Amino acid sequence: MKNLLHFFTSLRLTIVLLSLSLVLVFFGTLDQVRFGIHHTQELYFRSWVVFSPVLSLLTMLGAREFHEGFEAIRFPLPGGYTLGTLLLINLLSSHLYRFKLSLKKSGILLIHGGLILLLIGELITALFQQDTMLSMDEGGPPVNFSRDFLDNELVLIDRSDPELDTVVAIPANRLRRGHPIEHEHLPFRVETLQFHPNSSIFQIPRSQRGPERIGNLRGLAADHDLWAQGRAKTYREREVNTASALIRLSDDEGEIGTWLVANVLPEHFPLQEFEHDGKTWGIELRFRRVYKPFSLSLVEFTHERYPGTSIPRNFSSLVILDNPETGERRRDLIYMNHPLRYGGYTLYQASFDNQDTTSILQVVRNPGWTLPYLSVTLITLGLFVQFGMGLVRGLSRSNHSPGPATEKSAKASPS
Amino acid sequence: MKRSPENLSPGHQQTDGSAPKWIVIGLILLALFLVSRDLIRGDGSEVFDFRTFSQLPTQHGGRVQPLDSVARNSLLIFRGRQSALTEDGQSLTPAQFITEVAARPEKSDELRIFRIMNPQVKALVGMSGEDRRDFSYRDLRPHLGEVDQAFEAINPESEQRDAYERAVAHLFQSLSIYHRLIHSFAPPDNLDGVVAEYQNFLLSIPDGMEAIRSHERGEPHDSAQMRRFVGFTDRYMRLGQLASLRLILPPEGDAIEDDWQTTGESLIGTIQTGSIDPMVEHYARAIHAYRRAEADNFNEQVAAIQDHYRDRFPSAAAMTQREYWFNLSQVFYRSTELYVIALVLVLFSWLLWPNTLRKASFWILVIAFIAHTIGLVARMWIQGRPPVTNLYSSAVFVGWGAVFLGLIMERLYRNGIGAATAALVGFSTLIIAHSLGASGDTLELMQAVLDDNFWLATHVIVITLGYSATFLAGAIGLIYIIRGMGSTALDRKTAKALGSMVYGIVCFALLFSFAGTVLGGIWADQSWGRFWGWDPKENGALMIVLWLAIMLHARWGGLAGPRGMMLMAIFGNIITAWSWFGTNLLGVGLHAYGFIDGAFLWMGIFVLSQLTFIAAGSLPARFWKSPAAAR
Repeated sequence: MKNLLHFFTSLRLTIVLLSLSLVLVFFGTLDQVRFGIHHTQELYFRSWVVFSPVLSLLTMLGAREFHEGFEAIRFPLPGGYTLGTLLLINLLSSHLYRFKLSLKKSGILLIHGGLILLLIGELITALFQQDTMLSMDEGGPPVNFSRDFLDNELVLIDRSDPELDTVVAIPANRLRRGHPIEHEHLPFRVETLQFHPNSSIFQIPRSQRGPERIGNLRGLAADHDLWAQGRAKTYREREVNTASALIRLSDDEGEIGTWLVANVLPEHFPLQEFEHDGKTWGIELRFRRVYKPFSLSLVEFTHERYPGTSIPRNFSSLVILDNPETGERRRDLIYMNHPLRYGGYTLYQASFDNQDTTSILQVVRNPGWTLPYLSVTLITLGLFVQFGMGLVRGLSRSNHSPGPATEKSAKASPS
Repeated sequence: MKRSPENLSPGHQQTDGSAPKWIVIGLILLALFLVSRDLIRGDGSEVFDFRTFSQLPTQHGGRVQPLDSVARNSLLIFRGRQSALTEDGQSLTPAQFITEVAARPEKSDELRIFRIMNPQVKALVGMSGEDRRDFSYRDLRPHLGEVDQAFEAINPESEQRDAYERAVAHLFQSLSIYHRLIHSFAPPDNLDGVVAEYQNFLLSIPDGMEAIRSHERGEPHDSAQMRRFVGFTDRYMRLGQLASLRLILPPEGDAIEDDWQTTGESLIGTIQTGSIDPMVEHYARAIHAYRRAEADNFNEQVAAIQDHYRDRFPSAAAMTQREYWFNLSQVFYRSTELYVIALVLVLFSWLLWPNTLRKASFWILVIAFIAHTIGLVARMWIQGRPPVTNLYSSAVFVGWGAVFLGLIMERLYRNGIGAATAALVGFSTLIIAHSLGASGDTLELMQAVLDDNFWLATHVIVITLGYSATFLAGAIGLIYIIRGMGSTALDRKTAKALGSMVYGIVCFALLFSFAGTVLGGIWADQSWGRFWGWDPKENGALMIVLWLAIMLHARWGGLAGPRGMMLMAIFGNIITAWSWFGTNLLGVGLHAYGFIDGAFLWMGIFVLSQLTFIAAGSLPARFWKSPAAAR
């Protein structure tokens, strides 16, 4: 027991953990070249263990072509969760074990207290942060949802009521072969015949499609000979995975039909519709939507450039924010370094499209956003106290005697 | 000020510590001369006023700058030097170069301004047989078609080009910059008759317009008049499209940030206004005078343009002029030279006349630092921005911060180490800045997202000072290893003193790196709603913080002695270099083709050199000439 305590409170452990964190961060940066920020973040920092391939080092060293076998050489690294937890234990236990409240140690205490908060804050961010995109057209309808381009949902829309659509949304991770889905609002069963997280969509006559046996194809696949072929997922920044699925709907009387759906189709084609039991239904796969309690409409998007160049000077979106719950209605200007913060969301100017008539905002919601502020205040205070005291002591000593002055203070401050 | 107490410079023989005083004074005077020699030296303006000509303004790259800056940056792109070479090897100043381009393109075509190093590209332009590196437009003219074709054929993704493809792209870019400069001042094919040409154009406007209107109404008209007029407008339209420099002030009543006009555009505008813009007119007359070697006339015309600008925008005109002087002083080049001299003097001071040479090197370092500071402040003044706005200026600032800290160290310890490290880091970072600056305008405008002076002034400055301190600690580590292994001078006391220097600097570095990172997080949260996003640049900063924290904990836990701290400080150089540049390389297509890229190669060399020092420094004490330092 004492050994264990010794282990967890030791400074050596701290150094080992910090060193491993350094290595983790390094590889977690390198791999962003292949996996993009988001996926790398999941792999390295929001995981318990990560198998980091030697490949990322080689590619960094400029190897263009390498033996495929290199991909297989991997070494395990403790992930962000593991290191974070161990660092927390290490910190807490050494403070509890050697806890002595004194002015001399107040700096260290503040720093480490802040670090604990910082780790917790990052954990909350990892677990709860939402990151989505909201795009609006100049003069277009108000938009009350944002989209997550990393996730998809299958929606079935009951369009029979002209006033109100009833939408049943099924998260893409539930679309699995052999797992039919039933829902109280759906008069039919939803079966996934195939699902590709990324695919190429192209036109090809039915006769050339290969051996798959599919039942009664309807909608775009039938009318336009559209077809989807699976391909490797992309993790690159600015590239989006084209998720697609073949969905068969059936009721007690048998198959109603099979539809090809893909998240890129809604942009190019009208909603695929069909009749069932006298009701009009629509079916589509789309990027996951997150609805907001308020809506935004874009009055004007401005894209200023420096004169005679294409260097952007500023982007800004003049929007009208409308919250039916509170009756609030106001104008806001969102521009570089000046996001709109509203209802726990931060909306900032991220991109634009369609010859500067569409504005795309990034919508971030992070319930732990205050923790870093609190923690860095503590740490900064602590650093100033700690090094300030060291400096004062060092200077006062070097006035009396030459030579290293910080030696003693250094020994006097174990963590 | 306390004079250096003997016991603080241990390890030296104090008896021959001093040399005659005049050596110090002589060295300081030499340094003062070296640093200011560009300002003292004439710029060839005795007869023709090249100086005023190159102070004339243009709106280029989105900002108003003197023609001098355009000339320098173009020459830097063309041949990596701020000068042009004549056929007989004489060097022309940027001011002379831009005047030739404007007034005598047939002469500037003969200047050797295009540097071609790649043998394949040399072969492409039929110059394989030549053993020079710099070629003139006239040399290349017969092969422009080949260059165009080669450019069409190379990889369109600039990040994936190989050495040959990059060289082709570079030559193509240089040629088109030059071509567009030629078309910026007046129609280059009729420079001798340009004044008369403008008069004829002006005269042709009323009749020409009348003829066109009649033509549109289907009435009889003078078709010769119409053709003449349309000929002019076509000509000036094309001129306007080919020009790169907007030389003509925006119309009366507009602000300086509004759109300026090229000569061609302004001439087209004449159809509306009915008169040639005075600037266009003066440029034409200046060119005419220059070609006829009428120096007084040329100087008058150039002064008239200058006055016109000054009358409309007095404060901008003053700033344009300041930029000229800033360019002329070459202040960062000059401080680089002084850093080298200071470093050499410190190194010698460990062998000979320790007190004299150390004192001299300290004051030379101070002069270099003042010059460095003046340059930094001048940039801030001209740009109206905090000191760090791009990678180039970050290099300048990292050096500045390290020299500042090193000078303080030298004042405190007076053992030459602070001076040596300051000179070393100051010199290296300015060399880095020079090579980064070779790609064009270093006062360039900033992308929208960075356009926030408050955060630039806090986050970027603080984090850059963190880099400075880490590099300074690393430099002390290097000197510790070199002196400890290579000389007997590093006794226990000095070793201890160096240890506490590194400790102090590492504390400072951690404070600044951490604060800088946190400020960055706050900026990110303010702008993007997230404090931390594991993005390469953020990770780089985090790695520095982690490394410094490791160093301090290792020392506090007694796991690292003085030598261990030094080795770790050297490793800190690698981490900081990675954070500073490596992360930028990642974005620039490092994944596939970074290897040949200059920056990446240098980065590799740097990392290897630091690792070599660490390995050498890890050798057992018997390999050390100063075994006491090997603890």
